[in-house]
Amino acid sequence: MAAGPSELGTSRLQPLAPLPLPTPAIVTPDEDPDAGAFFQFTFDNYDSRDDSDSTSAATSQLEPNNHAAFLHPHDASSLRPPTPELPPSMASEDGQAHGGASAPALKNPFNFQTQVISTSPVKSNIGQRRGHRYKHSSISAQHQFFQEPPPRPPPVLPASLPVPTLKEAWTSMQRDQRARLYWCCCHAAVAVYVFFSAEGSLAMTALSHLVFFDVGSAAVCVAVDVLGNFEVWRRSSIRHPFGLQRAEVLAGFAMSVFLVFGGFDLLSHNLKHILESVGAHAPHHPHVGHAGTARYVNPGTVDTASLAAVVSTLVSAYGLRNHGRIRRVMRVPLPYLTSILPGAGILANPFHFLTMCFSFLMLLLPLVSIPYFVWLDRVICAAIAGSMFVLGTRLAIAQGLMLLMSYSGQADFNNSGSSGAEKKTDSLVGGSSSTVSAVVREIESEPQVARVDEAQFWQVHYGLAMANLKVCLVRGSDDSTLSQLRSRLARVVQNRLGEGYGRGGNLRWEVTVQMNTDGN
Amino acid sequence: MHSRPSLPPPLAPSSHWRTGSTAGGKPLITPTSENFKSAQYEPPAAPESHCHSHHSHSVERSKFTTLLLPATERWPIVHAILVEKDSRRIFYFMMLNFGFMAIQAFYGYVTDSLGLLSDSIHMFFDCVALAVGLFAAVASKWPPSERFPYGFGKIETLSGFGNGIFLILISVEIMFEAFERIIEGRETKRLGELFIVSTLGLLVNLVGMMAFGHHHHGGHDHGHSHGHSHGAGEHSHDHDHDHDHHGHHHEKKGHAHAHSHDNENMHGIYLHVLADTLGSAAVIVSTILTHFWKWAGWDPLASFLIAVLILLSALPLVKSSAKRLLLTIPEEIEYTLRETLPGISGLKGVAGYGVPKFWIDDRNTGEGAPANNLLGVMHVMAARGSDMDDVRDRVRNYLLDHSIDITLQVEREGDTSCWCGVGRSPLSQSISHNPTKSISIF
Repeated sequence: MAAGPSELGTSRLQPLAPLPLPTPAIVTPDEDPDAGAFFQFTFDNYDSRDDSDSTSAATSQLEPNNHAAFLHPHDASSLRPPTPELPPSMASEDGQAHGGASAPALKNPFNFQTQVISTSPVKSNIGQRRGHRYKHSSISAQHQFFQEPPPRPPPVLPASLPVPTLKEAWTSMQRDQRARLYWCCCHAAVAVYVFFSAEGSLAMTALSHLVFFDVGSAAVCVAVDVLGNFEVWRRSSIRHPFGLQRAEVLAGFAMSVFLVFGGFDLLSHNLKHILESVGAHAPHHPHVGHAGTARYVNPGTVDTASLAAVVSTLVSAYGLRNHGRIRRVMRVPLPYLTSILPGAGILANPFHFLTMCFSFLMLLLPLVSIPYFVWLDRVICAAIAGSMFVLGTRLAIAQGLMLLMSYSGQADFNNSGSSGAEKKTDSLVGGSSSTVSAVVREIESEPQVARVDEAQFWQVHYGLAMANLKVCLVRGSDDSTLSQLRSRLARVVQNRLGEGYGRGGNLRWEVTVQMNTDGN
Repeated sequence: MHSRPSLPPPLAPSSHWRTGSTAGGKPLITPTSENFKSAQYEPPAAPESHCHSHHSHSVERSKFTTLLLPATERWPIVHAILVEKDSRRIFYFMMLNFGFMAIQAFYGYVTDSLGLLSDSIHMFFDCVALAVGLFAAVASKWPPSERFPYGFGKIETLSGFGNGIFLILISVEIMFEAFERIIEGRETKRLGELFIVSTLGLLVNLVGMMAFGHHHHGGHDHGHSHGHSHGAGEHSHDHDHDHDHHGHHHEKKGHAHAHSHDNENMHGIYLHVLADTLGSAAVIVSTILTHFWKWAGWDPLASFLIAVLILLSALPLVKSSAKRLLLTIPEEIEYTLRETLPGISGLKGVAGYGVPKFWIDDRNTGEGAPANNLLGVMHVMAARGSDMDDVRDRVRNYLLDHSIDITLQVEREGDTSCWCGVGRSPLSQSISHNPTKSISIF
């Protein structure tokens, strides 16, 4: 008996498990429109089967015992008096006896139940008609076990919206979207071409990494554009409370990881090459000239790979209006660049700037007949790798902050002259971000507002931010003043934190104000 | 059955098991959360901890750590790292990695060995990845602030996501290189040196595997080894004990599902170390093979296979962490939420509601914290003649009962000023802020 309880405990868990499962579907058929429909269907089905038989005869024949038989499976627990005083051992023996039985037939101290099953004409009928027990659904309908649910309003939120498959996405594409996709493929081809034309030149390999990054973000833009055709992208459901738009941020984060990875990778390759050339001092390693002879462009001629990189970057930027999308993805604040080149078109975008810069360099070097040194190759590669790394980390931080559900206060990158390092520490420590606290102060200065209990500002994705405020009011305000106050607060938040005019992005703020009256 | 030296301890009702009864009066023996805790993880690195595995594991520290802890009181950063279990592990392993890297670089420099030097570069990158993971593990304990209203619970998921992407990129690169080398038929040189280096690397990484292994308890295949180590620790191999483990393992799985706090950061680091281990193992195997059969393709072939393995193992990590970062509601919670929501309109004084948005609260990653809290936002329309404060409290309490903490805006019926548009049409929904505007964003 020592080991008894443990066995019981575990074996008890098994048969009990299925019990609660069916109940939600039966009790609340109205929660889910699908479930409701399904239920209705089965119900009708059995009814019609009843009609085909001689209904009255069957019911009268079965009436006396069958009632209980039907009652039992559903109402067993409620009909039975609670028996807490029952010693556990007794109940458990009972449970063991019926241990493997189906869930509804679990425990029952009364024995008329078993008689019903063994003696009733139910048994004789079983062979003839399948699903006999369900026939009694007609009886239950008479006795109104299954009542029509009270009419309820349709659900405010759809539970989940279908996520499009590739095929659906393809068929949903419009003409210009398809053109963008094709261009994206061309851009990818250019990137592959640049990559394979590198032939051992580290600088060209690095440049191809940059072009690959451009391709990736262009692809993200195209994907975002296409997914925008679908409801699930923008509309909120229970499953995806903010739609899928955050996926764009996530993809951007993945791209920034790619940048960091590429930077690391190039640096390590570079280091290895340097090590190899250092190791080439040893006589048994004939590595001299390995990197030097690998890639050679005739002086005075045009390097087609770099030219292709320049052209494709330009087309991506201007043609097909890919430019706006790419900028939206890479809206990483770079104060110094924008201050050096105020409003310099696509060059204000750091990533375009980088690609253009280096591919022009690669284009110019053979043109002006600068001999292609190995060290120059390495220096260029290191420069590209370093800038990739720096930009990648900045991009990752900017997007990571958004993914961490914070508001990074991009507006203050404009006016504050502080360096990046300062801002980073500021953001990580979570010190007073000037704009958010200023807005909170402004809200607190409203005459009806006693204090702000909680203020949660965070950015959901590029186009949406939320401000959830819990505000304590002074006493004695009526409905209309409350409504006015609410819209005033929403205006304050939108005007102060919504990105200003002419900056391209329009950040919408969804403001929710929970109002308490002081003293509650 | 022969004598059992140790009866299954969970039977004592006071410890780890709760006896109760079902609605029908049947006895139920339910493992309590204490039991989960002790079963959740047992560090395989410290063998003595097996004996008293039923202690609360937050105080389970190795002797080394207890020695070190008071010494680090003066440096709060190091202390913070050492106090938490996860970050401590990462920190130790990072130190080991770093030391190994330094030794490798030194010997590589002295002996002018290229293989050692390039492997130490690789080690350095591992250290960087570990440092990122360490930072995430420490930062996840920071409290919420004005800047981060929901705390740093997501930073570990973010780090796991980044690690997963990193692994995918690496494996793609390895595959490309392997192809290149198979086509070119480049020969691997300096086999002996390579062999020694990769063996050492394998040893270090095996230590890491021991430290981080078993850790992602959300996983599917690792539950088995839990039960095994548990049973071995108590020297009782009889059948019903095993069965018992089965039962509570089953329960535990459900628990982990509901908890949904399987740590993506540790999972990512684990995968990273696993990838390195497999990489060194592949090098060892391929050097041996090349030694016996002179074919240049062994090494690229082995690395290609390893790359595929890494890719496949990183994909689930990326997927699960992406889901959490997208603020997707898991299915079980979605189900209960769907049941809870319609109840709101049945509350007294509520004429309608709109823009309900919920997301998972991961501010409290502590053990005792209530799991699966939802945070959210909702606008509720109060019927004419009802008290708005009353409606607010009623709805909030209703949702709090379902462990949903929301910021609730109460509007008067017929008030159309809010952006949510609840008042504009009864039973309206969240989408209706004009679609033309949102299209114009694109």
